[in-house]
Amino acid sequence: MSKPTNLHRSGLLLVIVGAAMLLWALTGLVIETHAAPMVPETPVLNADDAPQTLSNEYCMLCHAKPDRVWTLPNQDTLSLTIDPSVLEKSVHGSANPEGALACADCHVDYRFPHPVQTVRTAREFTLSRYASCRGCHEDEYRHNQDSVHGAALRSGRTEAAVCVDCHGAHDIQPPAEPRERISLTCGKCHGAIFEQYRSSVHGTALLAESNPDVPTCISCHGVHNIQNPTTPLFRVRSPELCAECHADQSLMAKYNISTQVFDSYLTDFHGSTVALFEQQDPEVPTNKAVCYDCHGVHDIQGVNRGEAQPIREKLLAVCQQCHPGAEPNFPDAWIGHYPVEGGVHPTLTAANGLYRLLVPVSIGILGLLIATDLFRRVRRLLGRDR
Amino acid sequence: MTPEPKSIEPARYVRFSGVQRFEHLLLLIAFLGLMLTGLPQKYAVQEWAKTLLHFLGGIESARILHRFFALLLMVEVILHVGAVGYRLFVLGKGASLLPRLRDGRDLVNWVRHNMGSKPERPAMPHYNFINKLDYWLTVIGTVILIITGYMLWNPVATTHLLPGDAVPTARVIHSEQALLMVILVVIWHGYNTLIRRFNGSIWTGKISRSAMVSDHGEALQQLENGTQAAVLSPEQIAQRRRLYVPMAVVITIVASVLLYAFVTFEKTAIPTIPRPEVAIFAPQIKAAEGDTNVGAVVWATVRCALCHGADAAGGQDGVPALRGTNLSFENFFQQVRIGSDKMPAFRAEELPDAYVLHLYTWLTTSSKP
Repeated sequence: MSKPTNLHRSGLLLVIVGAAMLLWALTGLVIETHAAPMVPETPVLNADDAPQTLSNEYCMLCHAKPDRVWTLPNQDTLSLTIDPSVLEKSVHGSANPEGALACADCHVDYRFPHPVQTVRTAREFTLSRYASCRGCHEDEYRHNQDSVHGAALRSGRTEAAVCVDCHGAHDIQPPAEPRERISLTCGKCHGAIFEQYRSSVHGTALLAESNPDVPTCISCHGVHNIQNPTTPLFRVRSPELCAECHADQSLMAKYNISTQVFDSYLTDFHGSTVALFEQQDPEVPTNKAVCYDCHGVHDIQGVNRGEAQPIREKLLAVCQQCHPGAEPNFPDAWIGHYPVEGGVHPTLTAANGLYRLLVPVSIGILGLLIATDLFRRVRRLLGRDR
Repeated sequence: MTPEPKSIEPARYVRFSGVQRFEHLLLLIAFLGLMLTGLPQKYAVQEWAKTLLHFLGGIESARILHRFFALLLMVEVILHVGAVGYRLFVLGKGASLLPRLRDGRDLVNWVRHNMGSKPERPAMPHYNFINKLDYWLTVIGTVILIITGYMLWNPVATTHLLPGDAVPTARVIHSEQALLMVILVVIWHGYNTLIRRFNGSIWTGKISRSAMVSDHGEALQQLENGTQAAVLSPEQIAQRRRLYVPMAVVITIVASVLLYAFVTFEKTAIPTIPRPEVAIFAPQIKAAEGDTNVGAVVWATVRCALCHGADAAGGQDGVPALRGTNLSFENFFQQVRIGSDKMPAFRAEELPDAYVLHLYTWLTTSSKP
């Protein structure tokens, strides 16, 4: 009695499993990812059916289906599901002045069946694909190749940013809209720097008020051709970078910030030296302070001239970064970013005044004495000397 | 009218000793070197100054050279003090360079002669008022430049004793006094020794008779009348020297030690500025605290608002409101990372942990935007 029952049960199980597998196969959910990792997408369609020009509808037959996941050899997973509405709402959707892009515009080599993938990680896949952007964005692609990111990539830092790391792949939005997006984009990889920037005077204004004037990352670093900011060249040129805004009178007037900061810096010992280095030896390192040595790099805070005492103490700590032995009087050796005033700098003003008098008076007296000698000679020459 | 002889006559009268001529050579080298390396620093914005600095090997090189010539000048000062001491205390010569009332009279008479109101030129001593002006303007200028130079060389030590203002003040004085010296030397010393009457006595040590007549009439008279100050006997000189030389050696050693201290007293600035270490590539940094400003921007730019609404008040098809959410941060974080059947998962590459915290902070703490 037990025998036929077992047979009956086994048969029933077989039918159920078979039906389930058939159903699975029909809905295209069978993806032999683990068994055949080199072929990410199961050819559920017949190759002969592939049209000559791939239409989005054709791609979406597979890629619109949810939960399509490709597991790579290192167990990274990549979702293969594309939400057509995401693509449509991106810059490459119907809002694109050049017209909405088709899948095959970027995936040019993706005829069906898809080429065999030899990449082993999700990152390798990204790096093997990002040159797709080059077809339309040649200049940006080249700039990126010439940038610190390109150099880092060539030196083996596979995490260095390529197009899609900043812009996204299918959901690309206008990269500078809103402006805050820019710094958030950089912050994805440069988290420690973003953490400093977000609470700086510039970062706060950008993120809290959507301020249109404060610098985002790219204002100082550039966009695609970002250069190494730790070189002597970047350092000696940095004051001009700050001056682009801080010497702009109409811009600074909005915030009641002095525009004399750059000129006063250039007349100072530090500034005049840095300017000479920039003009004559830009590749040679100099230890003379540039703007960010005193004000900070990404964590720049506003300087409030009103509170004299705390600033004085803050300034000493700033000076001591480079002048370890500096004592409380030392910061006063820096005249500041404001014109010399008699009330603030009495000895300096007196010395200036003294020599403004002494130089012409000395020249005058000695010149006069010389003039009398010349007078005698002229008279003698004219024969009027007794 | 006796025209001054145009032909070069043999220089006959001793004017400068070998030591004096050597001192002048040192001073000349130091002066020219300091001028050449100092003026382009003063006028660094001018094109000529930049060209000169370029030839000097750049600004830092010019500064080092300037200090080298300053060192030479200070060595010459020590030498000069010793030499003057020798003349005064060993040779027993008078302090003939000290300014006296008669120098004022000489100056007035010299001007009156030039203007034609006095027929004869004043009969002047070995060091006349012209020489004394040269000498004292140089001495005063050098002392001022050395003091202010020390302050600029050692600003940290200077502000240990003096207010901070002293350093920029020293800079102004050093710069202006140097200019003053250049002008005085060029116009006064240059005119009197090269143009008014070419006088090479500082090189040869000897001076012509006509130059003596013109500029040192009294000294010439004394020579010819034999009325100069009495010269000490060799025995007297030898005796004085035995006393002076050990003292001079001690003073020179002390001065040299001071000079060494001057040059090496402080290291004003460290060679390179250490930048605070910030990790360049830090995709998964921990945020110090949640930042509602960043959270608001994340909300607007990372597709949250597309479904949950711009102000997080919920969207169509039952998409929940997240403003003031009751989810714990851990649950919220899970939801963001793993997603659900309707909500896409956000990977860390797209939305770093720190941004999730900022987002959560914005949703839970800030009022409606």
